[in-house]
Amino acid sequence: MRNVAYLLAAGGMLAVSLAACGGSGGTSSGSPASSFNAAVNGVVNVSTKTGGIVKYANSGDWDDMDPGDTYYAYTWNFDRLFARTLVTFGDTPQTATTLVPDLATNLGTPSKDLKTWTYTLRPGVKFEDGTPVTSKDVKYAVERSMDSTTFPNGPTYFAQVLDAKGYAGPYKDKTPLKAIDTPNDSTIVFHLAAPFAEFDYLAMLPDTAPVPQAKDTGANYKSHVISTGPYMFQGNYTPGKDFTLVKNPNWSQSTDSVRHQYADQIQVQINAAAPDIDNRLLAGTLGVDITGSGVLPATQAKILLDSKLKQYTDDALTTRLWMSAISPTVAPFDNIHCRKAVEYATDKTAMQTAFGGQLGGDIATTLLPPSIPGYTKFDDYPVGPAGHGDLTMAKQELTACGKPNGFTTTIIARAERPKEVAAALAWQQGLAQIGIKTDIKKFPQGDYFKLYAGNKAAVKKNGYGLMMYGWGADWNDGYGDLSQIVDPRAIHGVGDTNLGVTDPAVSALIDKALQTTDTSARNTIWGQVDKMVMDEAIYVPFLNAKGLYYRPPNLKNVWVNPAFNGQYDYLSISAN
Amino acid sequence: MVAFIIRRLFAAVLLVLVIAFVTYAIFFLVPQVAGLTPYDLAARYVGKTANPATIHARMVKLHLNQPFIVQYFDFIRDLVFGAHYDAGAEQSYCPPPCFGYSFVYQTPVWPQLASRIPVTLELAAGASVLWLVGGVTIGVISALRRGRPVDRVSMGIALAGVSLPVFFTAILSQSQIRDRFQIFTGAGGQWVPMHTDPMQWLSNMILPWLTLAFLQAALYARLTRAGMLETMGEDYIRTARAKGLPERTVIARHALRATMVPIITIFGLDLGTLLGGAVLTETAWTLPGLGQYAILSIGDNDLPAVLGVVMVGAIFIVVANLVVDVLYAVADPRVRLAG
Amino acid sequence: MTVPIEVSGSETQADPEAVLAGLDRKAIEGRSLSQIAWLRLRRDKVALAGGGVVVLLILVAVFEPFLVSWFGHPPNEFHQNLVDPNLGGRPLYGIGHSGISRHFLLGVEPVNGRDLFSRVLHGAQISLLIAFLSTLISVLIGTVLGTVAGYFGGWVDSLIARTMDVFLAFPLLLFAIALAGVVQGKAFGLQGDTLRIVLLIFIIGFFNWAYIGRIIRGQTLTLREREFVDAARAMGARPAYVLFREILPNLIAPILVYSTLLIPTNILFEAALSYLGVGLEEKTATWGSMLAHAAPDYALDLEFVLVPGLAIFITVMAFNLFGDGLRDALDPRAR
Repeated sequence: MRNVAYLLAAGGMLAVSLAACGGSGGTSSGSPASSFNAAVNGVVNVSTKTGGIVKYANSGDWDDMDPGDTYYAYTWNFDRLFARTLVTFGDTPQTATTLVPDLATNLGTPSKDLKTWTYTLRPGVKFEDGTPVTSKDVKYAVERSMDSTTFPNGPTYFAQVLDAKGYAGPYKDKTPLKAIDTPNDSTIVFHLAAPFAEFDYLAMLPDTAPVPQAKDTGANYKSHVISTGPYMFQGNYTPGKDFTLVKNPNWSQSTDSVRHQYADQIQVQINAAAPDIDNRLLAGTLGVDITGSGVLPATQAKILLDSKLKQYTDDALTTRLWMSAISPTVAPFDNIHCRKAVEYATDKTAMQTAFGGQLGGDIATTLLPPSIPGYTKFDDYPVGPAGHGDLTMAKQELTACGKPNGFTTTIIARAERPKEVAAALAWQQGLAQIGIKTDIKKFPQGDYFKLYAGNKAAVKKNGYGLMMYGWGADWNDGYGDLSQIVDPRAIHGVGDTNLGVTDPAVSALIDKALQTTDTSARNTIWGQVDKMVMDEAIYVPFLNAKGLYYRPPNLKNVWVNPAFNGQYDYLSISAN
Repeated sequence: MVAFIIRRLFAAVLLVLVIAFVTYAIFFLVPQVAGLTPYDLAARYVGKTANPATIHARMVKLHLNQPFIVQYFDFIRDLVFGAHYDAGAEQSYCPPPCFGYSFVYQTPVWPQLASRIPVTLELAAGASVLWLVGGVTIGVISALRRGRPVDRVSMGIALAGVSLPVFFTAILSQSQIRDRFQIFTGAGGQWVPMHTDPMQWLSNMILPWLTLAFLQAALYARLTRAGMLETMGEDYIRTARAKGLPERTVIARHALRATMVPIITIFGLDLGTLLGGAVLTETAWTLPGLGQYAILSIGDNDLPAVLGVVMVGAIFIVVANLVVDVLYAVADPRVRLAG
Repeated sequence: MTVPIEVSGSETQADPEAVLAGLDRKAIEGRSLSQIAWLRLRRDKVALAGGGVVVLLILVAVFEPFLVSWFGHPPNEFHQNLVDPNLGGRPLYGIGHSGISRHFLLGVEPVNGRDLFSRVLHGAQISLLIAFLSTLISVLIGTVLGTVAGYFGGWVDSLIARTMDVFLAFPLLLFAIALAGVVQGKAFGLQGDTLRIVLLIFIIGFFNWAYIGRIIRGQTLTLREREFVDAARAMGARPAYVLFREILPNLIAPILVYSTLLIPTNILFEAALSYLGVGLEEKTATWGSMLAHAAPDYALDLEFVLVPGLAIFITVMAFNLFGDGLRDALDPRAR
């Protein structure tokens, strides 16, 4: 391993050495010496010792601490510490993407037509105040999460699949929701509008974490979420402020197969400066950078030049895709040839450099990342051997589009994301080679989809021709990855995540997949969906993201969890 | 005296109302300049799957489609009497002073502001003591040693001090002092309140205090020196000297006292401005004060929050003005009559 | 103070009375004010040096396109072959991996590899352009409103003085950021950087007039009571005549001094705005944005911070030195 590390530090043969590391990383678990990528396939510093404090830092803040209103991989990862859901993911690197029952005794039992799903609750699970958890608390949690006015941030799968058109949540709709039944305190039944083979993934969403109706204060519930997990909030939480989780006395190991209660406390710092986070990680006074965006470029240089530091890092491929979108509603992109010209002229290598070079990710050509079943390798728009763009093809397409000398348009990006802005700059520079002049505009990420990229009218009115975008699978399969970005039915006009695919054939193909019970046949269809969308030249995928993570040597039970975009598994990590 | 204070107080309240009006007007206009309609603003409060009808309902509910003047009076009314907000399961009461409801945090703005005031206060208090004592001392020494090396060197440094942006000195001291010698590392960029751990708090605050105070001390040294030189030329100083008073007494009793009056005036105003948020210092040092909140809110387009910070900042400045005025009146009866 | 405390670059505290006192010597010495001032200024080596740097900076700003084409590369041209993408985009060559070479006099920026020499020069052009024009706006508004308030008195004075109070009580930096941050795309028939530069000039100029206005008002109040103004009025001169022919010429000295001292303040103001990310287009080089982008990289090499930081420092210092000298030259009592 040392030799490999040395080679990497020298900066050469990167791809080859990474593969070598991946192959042998699993052996390191339990051994005192650490190595590069050791946490990718194994658990580093296995320990069942109790005590200590695990410290997290966040360079920003939660979208919402309420489990019913959150939509980041890191929050889903972290919230498991205090919020148990009907089902969840396995607790080892090998079972990380396998669904296992959590509050429920088994995975869901579907009816024959896949339209009714039944779960039975485990006995003995309690809230932090000692009250037993019942199926009604789960039902109530799902109901309230469907009030998208009070809870605007979370995913909306339940509103889409449940047989409950127009339901506005328990605060406004006083008639009880019929789509969810609770025949007794330990049984919950979901009635869907259409067959849906993957409902267990929805039972994994934090929306199913039980909420006691008596303690619910709506939007204010976030100030003290009632825990069902091994940790609970110390006092009240205030948005924008640091907080601490302490042991939940009413959680019992006997009811929980994936969680532990090793650390005494979990402390989280909010709005920390990114350079400070890296400094503290290297000094060992901080455990984890919670958003999982990887270390800063300067820290990356420092780590790679020092084999002592490098052995404590992992650089895992994630399911996150960095891409851009071309708006077909903005002239001249209503002409597919102008879109294709952009595809060909994109300097993917420069954009990769903006994200940290080969350690920041591999150049992408498809929407599905290689780690998701159904991935098929193809490249509709090759950008030349060095990845700087195929200018000959680009100019041909420009001419075909009737704009041989180029044109002017706008690139939009999220202001809080320096790497995304840097990639936009690299894109701008690449497009300039064929005469496409662009102006970069930055918007707050909180408004990005509501008012800008995901707002159909704003895109058309303000002429946002090119939009920086990134997407991580909600769960690792074709539906969890693709449906929200390619299904034309996901376009509502405000807050869209599908930024321009309108071909009804895509919807038809997605439905075909959902009704296909054979997994491998279904996965093949997801590959076809990918190709069908890429042919339209709406999206420009450019990077299958990786993140260079640093794990301080004093951190225990560390492993990279592919279910959460390749972040460390926050459920397992414990302190000394 | 009481009448004077009441008159001034009244004027100050009026000034705050006018500032609130102008601020509100500007922030009412800003979204329109940016091309956002009331409908777009309402869209910020609703969910991903919201349809046009729910957005419209939100817009009406929040009075976003009302004329400017109605919204302004609503704002002032809520500020004074508080307001109720729909938090889903319950009506959430936002007690006065209710600066509105943040788009981003989905909480009332005031508790956010209130929790950040102590940080800014601690930053301002420590730095202002440093710069006032340091600046005035250097200024006095420089004035007394006019033209000598001490004067030239300290004035040279002072001039450099006023020419260095605080975000540059912050980076320099982070790299050359904190990281190089591993001192004053504090909690590594994590805010620690004074009552939790005084030593870490101190370690956190020393460098921000110094960088901010360096800039201001330079300014005050120059002011003090100029003031001293001018006073030393006055007739009454010559008289005092002629009386045979010891030089020490002449300087401390007469010259310094006269010099300090305008310095204290400026100090009051500077402190007021600083309390409204030391934007650059707090940004460069990631201190969770009002200034940082302002920048975060502006970055998030969180207009109610921005409005709140600007208002609180303006109130601090107005209050500082008021205090300075009253102190003047106490010191000099003529001001009372004239004002 | 003209701007929020943290960016106050110069105190602009010349004593108005003292500046006026310089005028009195006119009669005694039989020389014009400008002659006396020039004589004094000539003896002040430090101020002259500051002035020299100012002139040099102006020349650099004006001839920026030529200097860049002779000694550098276009400021927005990428040179990613000069950086190592896997080491945080650190330049491959040069002392301390700064990228300094014969072709890149001040090195290259990490990640993109853009020429720092060209970028810092481009920053000078933008910085000076914005500072000069915004100062002009402040001085124009301040002088007009200040003289009108001071000369006419009464309710006009009250109105203007209260307006000044309102302006002085605003947290200006916050305001400027909020305003500069929202304006997008096209407006007033302008777009891109042109629009943003005009906007910055307007914002900085508009928010800074109150301080200078207050000084001018005070001076006008004093001048109004002077004999020569009384005499002019007694002879039946109209207000416009008195204002333009009697009062304004006597305000030139303080206006000159305050303008010189306001320019560095505005340079710092512009740097602060672009440091906070509300300046010009993403690709455009300004000192503040260069500093902000280099800040997380200071561990990579301090050079990337020093280049824009020292550019700001030297420029502001030069203006301050020159402004101080000018004030001393016009104010016999200060030295």
